[in-house]
Formats: sequence, structure tokens, C-alpha cells
Amino acid sequence: MDFKYDEKAEALRKQIREFVKENLPQDKERGMFSEEHDDDEWAFSMNMSKKLSEIGWLTMSWPKAYGGMDASVWERCILGEEAGYWGIPGLGMGVSGTAWVGPSMMLFGTEEQKKKYLPLIASGDPDGVWCTGYSEPDAGSDMASLQTRAERVGDEYIINGQKVWTSAAHRSRWCWMACRTDPDAKRKHDGLSVIIVDMKSEGVTIRPIPNIIGAHYFNEIFFKDVRVPAENLVGKENNGWNQLMQALAFERGIALGASSRGMRLLDELVQYTKETGDFKRSEIRQKLADLAVDIRALRILALEAAWKASKGEMVIYEPSRDKAYNDEVMEKMGIIGTEIIGAYAQVDPMCVSKKWKRILGMIEGNYWGAAGMAIAAGTTDTMRNIIAQFGLGLPRGY
Amino acid sequence: MDFGFSKDQDLIRKSAREFIEKECPKEKVRELKQDKKGFDTKIWKKMANLGFMGLVIAEEYHGTEGDFLDLMIFMEEIGRNIFPCPFFITVCQCAPAIEEFGTAAQKKNILPKIAEKGEIWSYAVNEDKADYEASDIQLSAVAKGDGYVLNGTKLFVPYANSAKKILVVGRTTQSDNPEEGITLFIVDANSDGVEIEEIPTAAKDMKCEVRFNNVTVSRDDVLGEIDKGWAIVDYVLQYGAVLKSAEMSGGTQAALDIANKYAKERFQFGKPIGSFQSLQHRLVKMLTEVDGLKNLVYEAAWNIDEGTPNKMLNSMVKVKANNVYHRVCFDAVYIHGAIGWTEEMDISLYLLRAKANENDCGGTNFHRERIAKELESYEPDFLAMK
Repeated sequence: MDFKYDEKAEALRKQIREFVKENLPQDKERGMFSEEHDDDEWAFSMNMSKKLSEIGWLTMSWPKAYGGMDASVWERCILGEEAGYWGIPGLGMGVSGTAWVGPSMMLFGTEEQKKKYLPLIASGDPDGVWCTGYSEPDAGSDMASLQTRAERVGDEYIINGQKVWTSAAHRSRWCWMACRTDPDAKRKHDGLSVIIVDMKSEGVTIRPIPNIIGAHYFNEIFFKDVRVPAENLVGKENNGWNQLMQALAFERGIALGASSRGMRLLDELVQYTKETGDFKRSEIRQKLADLAVDIRALRILALEAAWKASKGEMVIYEPSRDKAYNDEVMEKMGIIGTEIIGAYAQVDPMCVSKKWKRILGMIEGNYWGAAGMAIAAGTTDTMRNIIAQFGLGLPRGY
Repeated sequence: MDFGFSKDQDLIRKSAREFIEKECPKEKVRELKQDKKGFDTKIWKKMANLGFMGLVIAEEYHGTEGDFLDLMIFMEEIGRNIFPCPFFITVCQCAPAIEEFGTAAQKKNILPKIAEKGEIWSYAVNEDKADYEASDIQLSAVAKGDGYVLNGTKLFVPYANSAKKILVVGRTTQSDNPEEGITLFIVDANSDGVEIEEIPTAAKDMKCEVRFNNVTVSRDDVLGEIDKGWAIVDYVLQYGAVLKSAEMSGGTQAALDIANKYAKERFQFGKPIGSFQSLQHRLVKMLTEVDGLKNLVYEAAWNIDEGTPNKMLNSMVKVKANNVYHRVCFDAVYIHGAIGWTEEMDISLYLLRAKANENDCGGTNFHRERIAKELESYEPDFLAMK
């Protein structure tokens, strides 16, 4: 047993903090989802991606051949922790590229695909920004029922259909798409494939969906006779479901960044209440102490999942467990935090003026964000279905 | 970073589990609830013969000088089978206090008796308020001649009626700072003036009231420095909070397993009840809490093992253990339906034990306050960056 990071990983933490000191103004407002909404914010974020790419951190755990630096799982964890705590933007290259498009492509892509797309993501350039096309109007939690059709005609797929809730589509060069390639498959899961779509293709129409706070984060994408070269198929045709499950595990393995983000919020709330004098109040102290326990538990669960992955074990239920738990903790943090900042919690999160903000807008940002994060990447209850099946061996209940 | 156990540690777990399952199956656990001592002296002797008592005691004192993690594993297994015996109070509370703070003579006299013979010790700290604050310690200890005279009452003292010795936390000096003026005494349980009465507890886990009426203790039987005993109390508390949490973690793991198994076997509407989503989600929350507690216990125990105990983490672990053991047992009973709320089902043993363990080594509010104190005094990383 060993519950501390190795020296190499801790050395990286120091370097990251130096980087943050030089490159990330600490009085910068930190709402949620503003990067994709605002052109200036997006430019700042992409600029950060470029800097991170130049150091090698953007895709540090990838092999050198594809623009990574072969970093260990633990170095990757440190980066996740620090990014969460300091709110380093740009690490996702949108919301898909570094987190699951790259890792999935390494598992399932052709050599040509890896050579073409991975260095693009690793470069931190706008051409390396991806979005993810899974959800459809009639395929939410029941993702396998998606209907967007990709029909093989000669050397091409012809795509028709609609995706929805596509985060950052309007900033993306590529779409990581789940399509139906065999409409006649006996099981709906068996007719799916993953296909790469160039967002500049003819027939692609993006329409914004303002989110709950009025920010442009989500989109609808319409595909009308979009022609995609057959070589853009990732992995095997009709094997998409299995590949997607792996990609989703990557997507849900976010808890370490989330726990250190929680740690930051906790630190801020303790400091704020110490300054206002509220920390002396027993009910405030007790609530913050309780929150500290939850955040610590979230952290240790995330590290346990990382450890299992580092040994080459398939982590099947753990990412879902950690995602569902994070949903709960984030909401609890949202309640406790907004109670503490009181009436300031109602200030419009899109308001830029610092005059009305407390704690750089982090607290209400977390609160509003919690309502959305419980749905993103699979709802909390969908996670629980997965855990019931794979963590507890219970029969499918739906 | 490594969450895995070594082969030796796996072996300790295996032998502890096999021993406990063989010697003390659930029928035996039930039988011992009616026992005057609350445990089986024959099993206790076997444990001593197998060297379990000396698990972490130094070789010099005839122990096997194992790691703190070995002890943690043992407690987890005790908790898994809610095995009733004075192991925690003797081996996890008193022996470490003696070994850490005792004089050479005390260590030499006492530790081999525990390690080899399983001499039973108890630890008396709680008083009327049944809490662990320094200000709650009011048992009077007045210097007289070559020793001290103790007067007062201690509550919830585990297995005091079987103990040979009791480590008693007394107040030698009244002071503005309640942490000052506390002293620990080694008291022979058969001393004149010591009266012991069993407190009827729901779990029948043998906790006693111990009354001290002009009990004299010699100067040689003071543990540590006069008036400076809070450091010992705090040490025993932190060490114990993690080990008690390990016991509770073992209990939660077993309770979850029992409930999960039942959910697969019990049929209603022609299906196992474990196929219903509402029930699945309840079980999933239990699993998440159990996983979280288990790993937090490991982290805290590893830090103690490494000589880098983390005060805040130790308190976090106990808060988590208290919350999770309650939650998991309530839900496990619920999953069983009416039969879960009967004596007949094993799950009831765990629910009763959860409440018994909750206040051992500090209740939830007490530990939250300790966490708050740590949060208050520490400088967050983001301030250092400014």
C-alpha cells in the first residue's frame, strides 16, 4: 500500500503551479461553460491549449508518437487535480478531444487515423477541436436507440439525421459520431458504428441551444446527405456499442478533477466564512466539515479507480460510481455554498461585473452547473443502473 | 500510489477471517449476547495462543511487531462478523497507549502479559456527558501520600467487568484550558472502591459503568506525565478512531453483501426484488458509501503506519464510518422488508452494532468539530498563490 504520489508526479505538481502563476490570472472570474459561449473566452482557452501543448501537458499520457509524453497514470492524475483546483481552461480541446476521442482512437482507430488526428489534438490548434454526437431527440439515456443513419455507398458513408445537446459543436472541427449503420440488426445495440465527421462538410447545419443560464454551449446538428469517406469509420462497422461503452468510461472518469475542484470551492468557502465571521457558527462549521469528508471520499474513490486502471484492470463500474457520487456531492456543495453567499447566489452567472460576484462567481456557477452535470455524460440514475448491473451483479431493471 | 495489499497482509486477513468464522459463527454471536461476560474466554485464549494479541506489540515485549495495517485488517475482519471480544479495547486502545507513553518498567510488566496471555484491559474515558471533549473529563484525582485518590464515575467502559486493569482518565488539576490537568492512571479492576455495573445496551456489546470511590493508585501506576494526559487521550482517540472505523467498515461490507444477496433471492411480482430500479439504486448508493469508507480507512491507516498520521483525515474517517454504517444498515433492513426488523435476521445484529460503535472514539458532531478546527487553521493553496 502507498497513498502518496511518487516524486516525479509531485515534481510535476510544482511545475504546474509555476505555470498557473505565470499564465492564469487568479482574479479571473470562474463561472461554468463560459468558454464555449464567448469569443474572447474561447480565444483565451485555445491560447492556453496551445501553451499546454507546447509543454506537452495537453496530451501528456499519450505515446510520444502521437504527440504525448508517455506520462504515467499518476502524472495524469496530478494534472487532473491541479486543473480542477486552479480551473485551468483548454485542457479538453473542446470537451471531447483529449478526454475520450484520443484514447478511444488509440484503442480502436486505424494507424492512418491515429497519425492524422491524434497529433492534431495534441497540437492545441483549432483543427484539433472535437465535439461528440451521441444524443438525439429520441435517444437520451437509451442511447442505443439512436437513428442517425450512415449508409455505406461505395467508398463513402452518407449520413442523415439529427444530433442534439452537442457541446461545443460550434467550436469544433470534427465530430465523433455514433451512427446507425445496420438498421436491420436484431439487437439495436448491434447496428451502431463510430464515424468521424468533418464539421465543414456540406450538409452539416449547426443550430445553437441556449442553456439554462443563456450561454451558448449546446447545439443541435442536422445532417443532410453528408458524405464522409469510408476510411472515417473507427473500429469495426456495427461494433460501435462496445467502443462507445469504453469511450463513455473515459468520459465518466472525471472524478479526480471534480474532487479537487470541490477542494477549491471548500477552501474558498472556509476562507470566505472566516472573513465574514460565519465560520464561528456551529452550523456552518459542521456543514463545511461534512462537505470536506465528502470531497475527500470522492478523491479516494477516483484514485482507487485510477489505480485499478493503472494495473490494466478493466474499470467497469467505478467511473459510473464516481460520476454518480460527484453528482451528489456537487449538488450538496451547491446548496451549502449558495446558502453561505446568501442573496448573492441569485446574481446572473452571465453577468461579467465583479461588483455583484462573491468568490469569483464559483459558488453559483457550481450550483447551476450541478443541475446540468447530473445529466451530462449519462444521468445519475443511468449510472446507478450500470453500477447495479456491473458492480452488484443485479439483473437489468429496465 | 498503490491500493493493493501485500501477500503477508492478505494472509493475515485470511487467517483472521477463517478463525473468526470458525470460532464465532452468527449463532455464537447471538448466544454471546446473553452471556454474562459478553464474550467467550475459550476463544479469547485461542486468540492469545495464536499471537493475535501481540500483533503490533514490539518483539522486546513478546509481540510480533506487525504493522498498523495488520491491526487494521484484523479489525475489519472483526467488524465483518461482529465478533464480540475485548480485542479492540485491549489491543487497539490500552496496549498502544502503554507502549507509546509507558515507562520502561510499565512496558516490561504489562505488554508481555497482553501479548502472550491476553490479559484483558479496559479504557475509561467517557463520563456523564458521554462525549470525548477534554472538558468532559471530571473524575477527580487528588494527590495523597505516595499516590492518588480517585473519585467519580466512568461510563460506557467496554468489558470492564472482565478487565484485569483499567486505564482511567482523571482530572488532577482544574484549569482554564480543559486539556491541561488530565492524568491517566492504571487501576487494578479489583481495587477497593471500584464498582462495576453493566449498562444495558441494545447491541449487548458489554459496556459498563465504573464507579470509583476513594480508589487509591500508586505513583508508579500513573501513565505518562501528571497533568499532561490529554496528549495520550488524543493519541488513543485518533489511533482508535481509525481502527474502530475499520471495524465499522468491515460491518458495512458484510451488511451490503447480505442485502445484495437477499435482493437476488427474494421474489415478488414474479421477479427478484433486486431487479427493481428503486431498490437497485438504494443498493448502489450503499455500495458507493461502502467503497468510499473502505478506501478512506485504508488511507488513514496507511498514514499512521507510515508515521505521518493525519488528524483531519482520522476524524473524517470516523464521521464517514458513523454515517455509512447507519445508512447501510437502515437500507439493508429496509431491503429485507419486515423480516429485516426481527431478531432472527443477521442484518439486525449489524444495525444494533452500528449505533453501539458510533460513539466509540468520538461521535459525528465531535469529529466534525475537529475537522472544522483543522480547516480553520490551515492555509489554503489558493491564498499562497496570490
